Amino acid sequence: MAIVKAEKTPARAAPISESSLIGWMRMHLFSSTFNSILTVISLYIIYITVFGVWKWGVTDAVWVAGNRRECFNISINGACWAGVITWLDNIFYGRYPREDLWRVNLGGLLLFIWMAPLWLPRVKAKVFIGLTTVFLYPFLAGYLFAGGEKGIFMQVMITAAIVCLLGNTTHSIIGLFTGRSLPEFLIRLLGKNAASEKSQRNILLGILVLSFAVVYIWQMGWSVEVVPWTKWGGLFLTLVISGVGIASALPGGIILALGRRSKLPVVRVLSTAFIELFRSVPLITVLFMATTMFPLFMPEGFVLNKLVQVIIAVCLFNACYMAETVRAGLQAIPKGQFEGAHTIGLGYVGTMSLVVMPQALKHMIPNIVGSFIGLLKDTTLVSIIGLFDILGMLRSISRDTPWLGLHKEPLIFGAALFFLICFGMSKYSRHLEVKLSTGNKH
Amino acid sequence: MAVSDGPKKTEHIKPIEKFEFFQDERVRSVFYQLLTAAIVGWAVWYLISTTAHNLEVRGMSSGFGFLNVEAGFDTDFKLVEYVPGIGTYGDIFIIGVLNTLYISALAIVASTVLGFAIGVLRLSSNWLVSKVALAYVEIFRNTPLLIQIIFWYTGIFSLLPKIRQSYDLSGGTEFVLLNNRGLYMAWPVPGDLLWMTGVAFIVAVIAVVIFRRWNRKRQDATGQVFPTFMPSAALIIFLPGIVFAITGSPLGWDLPKLEGFNFVGGATVPPAFLALLVALSIYHAAHLAESVRAGILSVNRGQRDAALAIGLRQNRVFSLVVIPQAMPAIVPPMISLWMNVVKNSSLAIAIGYPDLVAVFMQTSLNQAGRAIEIVGMTMAFYMFVSLTISGLLNIYNKRVQLVER
Repeated sequence: MAIVKAEKTPARAAPISESSLIGWMRMHLFSSTFNSILTVISLYIIYITVFGVWKWGVTDAVWVAGNRRECFNISINGACWAGVITWLDNIFYGRYPREDLWRVNLGGLLLFIWMAPLWLPRVKAKVFIGLTTVFLYPFLAGYLFAGGEKGIFMQVMITAAIVCLLGNTTHSIIGLFTGRSLPEFLIRLLGKNAASEKSQRNILLGILVLSFAVVYIWQMGWSVEVVPWTKWGGLFLTLVISGVGIASALPGGIILALGRRSKLPVVRVLSTAFIELFRSVPLITVLFMATTMFPLFMPEGFVLNKLVQVIIAVCLFNACYMAETVRAGLQAIPKGQFEGAHTIGLGYVGTMSLVVMPQALKHMIPNIVGSFIGLLKDTTLVSIIGLFDILGMLRSISRDTPWLGLHKEPLIFGAALFFLICFGMSKYSRHLEVKLSTGNKH
Repeated sequence: MAVSDGPKKTEHIKPIEKFEFFQDERVRSVFYQLLTAAIVGWAVWYLISTTAHNLEVRGMSSGFGFLNVEAGFDTDFKLVEYVPGIGTYGDIFIIGVLNTLYISALAIVASTVLGFAIGVLRLSSNWLVSKVALAYVEIFRNTPLLIQIIFWYTGIFSLLPKIRQSYDLSGGTEFVLLNNRGLYMAWPVPGDLLWMTGVAFIVAVIAVVIFRRWNRKRQDATGQVFPTFMPSAALIIFLPGIVFAITGSPLGWDLPKLEGFNFVGGATVPPAFLALLVALSIYHAAHLAESVRAGILSVNRGQRDAALAIGLRQNRVFSLVVIPQAMPAIVPPMISLWMNVVKNSSLAIAIGYPDLVAVFMQTSLNQAGRAIEIVGMTMAFYMFVSLTISGLLNIYNKRVQLVER
């Protein structure tokens, strides 16, 4: 028996179109009763926070005032940004002599110039540029910031740094326009492309030595005044500490990670113990250890200043965290890579530096950036042991007589500053991750 | 084309019979290990000898005898009896350890609950909700914890009204009061027959466990599902409740009373405690939310589709299929996050909550000297905690792996 439906089945309503605004809202905000309630609650939360912050921080805020009382007189319920603005120089540079601020700015600018080629697509030898940033830039910047008498060693390092910076910059400019490297360009410029490799190399070496000599003689002529470390402060000091920490954490971390994965039991046990010791205690205890115990460790008459103590502590601490990041990266490298490298006759050093590390480091970039962000945030801890880093400066605003008790605004400003830096870095590393992973698939 | 004919004479290259001592791998490995051991040994010996020399020159004594010496200072929050002037540095150590563990435990619970909630909200199909959760995560993850702690302390909890204008968080009953001196809570005073309620509670819990077992067996045998949640909840709430009512509510409350300039009675925690608790919970919840989100996303989409296809409801899909598979990915980062909570609780020193670092590593060290002993004891405590926690993690990982294969 066949059943025939007498009526036509009514057509179902068209699905909600997602393309119109109403349709999108029905899909994503009001798809069910529960979701609608959630939407209303979140709208309320957004209203409360955004408008509250906007009213307090912008419309009711005081931007220009001589002291906190004036702020209150103008607007009792608003933020008093005037205090932060007055202290802006201190927040960024601490008590660094105002007439010498150009040195700090120049240091920052040089770093930017040094590292900018890393982002330019056509420039070659990026690894070299990166390595020189880590190993030579600190000497130049260190002298710029600290000043004083240059020893022979410092003179050589400063010269090397300047020559390297000049070389890097011309190299990247040439690379940007011609796609060639600096040595190639120089050889072509001198019309020696036909010459043998050996004589080419000799010419390049000659140019290098010549420029080194010229720069060396030039740098003997100038020096900058001493600025004692006690005058360093603010964001500048934070960046110096975390910068040194970052620069030394990577090589230190690589060595420790290799030690931990070593086949030699003594090396492995020692590295593991060292890493675990520093990873299981809070940074603040390491800082206290540095300030209270390092003086006992030093031979008589040899005094480390507090900044150096702190930097050593930060370096040790971060090298151990970096070691675990590197180890994770090394574990991701398939065994075949090690075996392949052995087969073509590479020893341990060759295997690691030519085959394994380049691959591992590429995988690790997001994690490395993550630990750098962590390090930058952790650097604020040095304010606890009495250095005037950015947080120390922000806190001293509330102890400054005209701005007595001004706590919230400086802290919010500092938090916003950190947010910009850290959020930018993490977004960039995610972008990098995507870029590298697509490059990996083919 | 000329091909050289005749059998090709293969030349045998004789291996070099010379034994190159340093090219042998075993020799090298022993050499490198000896070298490392020698360098480390020398460094340790050097540090010890200079330290001993320095201590001698400065006339500083060493040893753990100072733990029995009276400490002349007080802490404004402690979980054990302590009288300044009579209590020793050893007592101070115990106070610090307990304070650290106390705030860490509370912060771990709070941040875990909050982190799971935010992590699930982050995956909500509701666009607005997921964006609000994202904003929360990004804001709190990308600002230093120390700034957050100081902000909560100086910007919020220190600016609360004075004692006489306390906020009453319990709606006029004066059970929970909040002011710029801290949080004042009524404290339960157990009566005579309260133990019966406790017994009833334990009985209820055992009954629930048996009930659940029975239910699982029945489900395995017959395939029928018996609702367990509501009966279990009812049992656990009502059985002790009824016993409590029958025995005549043997529980009094010690209410905080305003006497002179301060509250007396009840339990109190200082503002620094509250600030630290709130900051630690919020900061680590933001980190945990990301782990939870990543863990849930790591479960294959097909698992969810399949669960829906066999007719499970949305919340059952979550509790029976997604969460069990996501847990192995969530638990390891969660446990290392707990470790971070314990370590980061040491930032209490910035706002004056008397945790181990503040009372022992700072105040005691300043007064008693003995840098090496104090630093060593403090670090040993943190290492003990993190070794314990990572031991737990290893046990968990082993269990998960067994279940998987």
